[in-house]
Amino acid sequence: MTGLMAYVGARLEVVDPLGIIHVSELVKDFRRPKRIKGALGGLRTLVTRESVIKRAVDGIDFTVDEGEFLGYLGPNGAGKSTTIKMMTGILQPTSGKIEVAGIVPWRERQRNALNIGVVFGQKSQLWWDLPLRESLQIIGKLYAIDPARHRANVDWFVELLDLDPFFDTPVRQLSLGQRVRGDLAAAMLPEPRILFLDEPTIGLDVVAKERIRGFLSALNREAGTTVVLTTHDLDDVERLCRRIILIDGGKVTYDGDVESLKSRFVQQRRLVVKLAAGVEWRGVGIPGVAESIGDEAVELAFDPAEIQVSELITAVLADHQLTDVAIVEPELENVVHRIYASAGMA
Amino acid sequence: MTTEPRDFGREPAGRLIPWWRSYLVLLGAAWRSQFQYRANLFIMILSGVAWQGVGFAFIWVVVAKFGTIGGWSLSEIAFIYGIRLTAHGLFVVVSGRIFVLDTVIQEGEFDRYLVRPAGALAQLWNRQFYLPHLGDLLSGLVILIAAATEIPADWNVLTVGFLLLAVLSGGMIEGALQVIAASFAFRTMNTRQIRGMMDDIFSNFGGYPITIFPIAIRLILTFVIPLAFVAFFPSAVLTGRSGGLYVPEWLALMSPLAGPLLVLLAREVWRSQLKHYKSSGS
Amino acid sequence: MSGSALTVRQRLAAYAGLAKIQISAQTIYRSNYLVSLLGLLFKVYLLKEVWVAAYPHSRATMGHGQQISLSAQIAYSTLASVQYFVFNPWTLSGIPERVRNGQVAVDLARPVRYTAQMTFGQAGVMIAGLPFVIVALPFAILVGGAEAPASAGAGLGYAVSLVPAFLITLLTGSIVGITAFWTLETDGTSIIYRMVAQFFAGALVPLWFMPGWLETLASWLPFQATTYTPIAIYMGKSGSVVSTIGLQCVWVVVLWLILRLLAVRALRRVALQGG
Repeated sequence: MTGLMAYVGARLEVVDPLGIIHVSELVKDFRRPKRIKGALGGLRTLVTRESVIKRAVDGIDFTVDEGEFLGYLGPNGAGKSTTIKMMTGILQPTSGKIEVAGIVPWRERQRNALNIGVVFGQKSQLWWDLPLRESLQIIGKLYAIDPARHRANVDWFVELLDLDPFFDTPVRQLSLGQRVRGDLAAAMLPEPRILFLDEPTIGLDVVAKERIRGFLSALNREAGTTVVLTTHDLDDVERLCRRIILIDGGKVTYDGDVESLKSRFVQQRRLVVKLAAGVEWRGVGIPGVAESIGDEAVELAFDPAEIQVSELITAVLADHQLTDVAIVEPELENVVHRIYASAGMA
Repeated sequence: MTTEPRDFGREPAGRLIPWWRSYLVLLGAAWRSQFQYRANLFIMILSGVAWQGVGFAFIWVVVAKFGTIGGWSLSEIAFIYGIRLTAHGLFVVVSGRIFVLDTVIQEGEFDRYLVRPAGALAQLWNRQFYLPHLGDLLSGLVILIAAATEIPADWNVLTVGFLLLAVLSGGMIEGALQVIAASFAFRTMNTRQIRGMMDDIFSNFGGYPITIFPIAIRLILTFVIPLAFVAFFPSAVLTGRSGGLYVPEWLALMSPLAGPLLVLLAREVWRSQLKHYKSSGS
Repeated sequence: MSGSALTVRQRLAAYAGLAKIQISAQTIYRSNYLVSLLGLLFKVYLLKEVWVAAYPHSRATMGHGQQISLSAQIAYSTLASVQYFVFNPWTLSGIPERVRNGQVAVDLARPVRYTAQMTFGQAGVMIAGLPFVIVALPFAILVGGAEAPASAGAGLGYAVSLVPAFLITLLTGSIVGITAFWTLETDGTSIIYRMVAQFFAGALVPLWFMPGWLETLASWLPFQATTYTPIAIYMGKSGSVVSTIGLQCVWVVVLWLILRLLAVRALRRVALQGG
């Protein structure tokens, strides 16, 4: 609790010379005109002055160093998409400062676009009716990429993302996972220094997720790209991010590495076992394991720091016939919720 | 096959290119996308011709019966109609389906235009190449060229130059007004109604000698919605009627300037309204 | 696939339901409807001014061997524009999309004839527009013009002839819609149909002012029976009212047969190719 409070509200007084992204006292208000319904409602909405103000981002500060892999997390409506949209030049801040690779994004949107790659998981930036190959060619021309660099990048991406099987298929016919892989290649083709990702693995199967994580990790490690990742998938964060920033209510509530966050807030794992027909639950008899017996399955909560998973499973199997066993990792939503609860904010 | 990992270093591979080059790249992409479905190419273009041709067929039948409309012969009205339609054709061919801007904003698609090193409007315009627009331009050119050879105009470098500039300016007038109206979509307004209405006024009234309307309507179509500058004033100048208009002659002679001026205005309005973009959805 | 398993009453209820779905779908686009009404008023006004400018000093002009006064011509074009607008709402049937995305299979599984579904769906679209037209009619008369029917009989004949006119519009629209089974195409064909139909219906210029050969062509096409014929009856310029309406009814039968023929082939095509 005290450790957390040290992070909350921390301000960077000195600008880090290594930083590639500087955000300070960033605020974004949304002013929405009160809508008037009915005939010519649009016109009357324009004329009236009434409006409602909502503060989506409320004084955020942080610096991201070149080469970092940052998880930018928070519950829905916390202001994370709004921050990303300000860093990418889509939105103009209400107040505060923002600098991405030395450029103020909203002021020099197109120059900023050269330095950043953006992938929104649910929205493709590819040309829907054209094959992926052609989309990449168009991007090459739009960014005036030197042909040799273009070719080398495409070759590397085709191998790393396994684009070959669908490289000549129109994008509209691709599966979601294939399409996201295509979008990643398109975003990284101009060798941007920073890659922004918004829910890149949402709705994907395990294999597709793995491939994308492998790509992002290689990109960060080999090519030196700075990555800012927004996701609800805790696995993404665990596998990739060395640092995470949590925000809620438009404010930073945690800024630090993943390990300390996990050890502090995510102590328990749950083992869910399904008993074979006719088998009765007799208990495992290990201290520190909380049992809860349901109709279909039994849930065992334990602390992996004290009890080994293998030990627990062996103990269960000794006395029971099972049809299924699963280890349930806590959802990021739960983690986030618990953090807010302990910080007295929920 | 194994490929060498790449080190991207600190210099991105992309650089900014002039606006017209990015426009052409995007146009090429939109064009190739459209031709993925080539089956209905002919029908689509023909539908553009049919759409625009019916308005002209009406004029033709009326003039065939009565000789003139408001003192203008068939070829002279065809000349007005042809200028207006060619100008419209140029605008729609260049701008694709700008009519979809409201939807593009509502569905969050506009976000992606802002993270590319190219103008947002150029990307919107090249979102889709809509084939019937080629039919608009085609019918406009056919009517204009046929009419130009029929009317008793003295064609020389000066008059042909004036005609070309007038057609370009006419396309700019319509385009600028549509962009200005569309800009207010950034304030989460529904602009489709007002743009549809403007399109209606242009296509209904644009091809006629504006002097057939009462003076109040004429003034509206000159100073509120500057439709008269698209085709009527240039035609009046080229058919030797600019002396007896309801406006001073110099104003009619200046009509090729109206388009560029409105385009400058539209650019300012678009930029100022773009700041209000809220990026709905998440 | 025919609806023989249903009683007449059930079938009528089904038709009404199909029409109702379209009506509620249309009212969602209310504001768009208002704009297209403004478009109608612009058109009415434009046509009036064009006729005023074309008519030589407001004198009557010969057409079809009869005197057509300027005010009669303006009344014609006002009524024709409004009537065409009511009968031809912007949304044609959604058949092409439904064929493309396979939803047509759902339509075919319904225990009501497919052609009836199409026709009544389209009728729903038209009915949804009626309230707007009632509001717009006084304005249309204001910016255009109107005249009373030539006689009580002409007024009655007009009302009666609207029924086959409406049916012919539905049938020609459905015939164009059903070609989607072959072309899989949406926009192009329907725009071409709309424009050609509008012109030959006499919605812009009455047949009596068309050059001889064009008038002959128009009178051999079904479109004139949707707009020109009823209004010519209204103004007492159609010749025998009974035989004119009889001719309309012949068109209804002919078009219905063509639609059935096409529908049978279209459905066989779906059955063979699975949509």
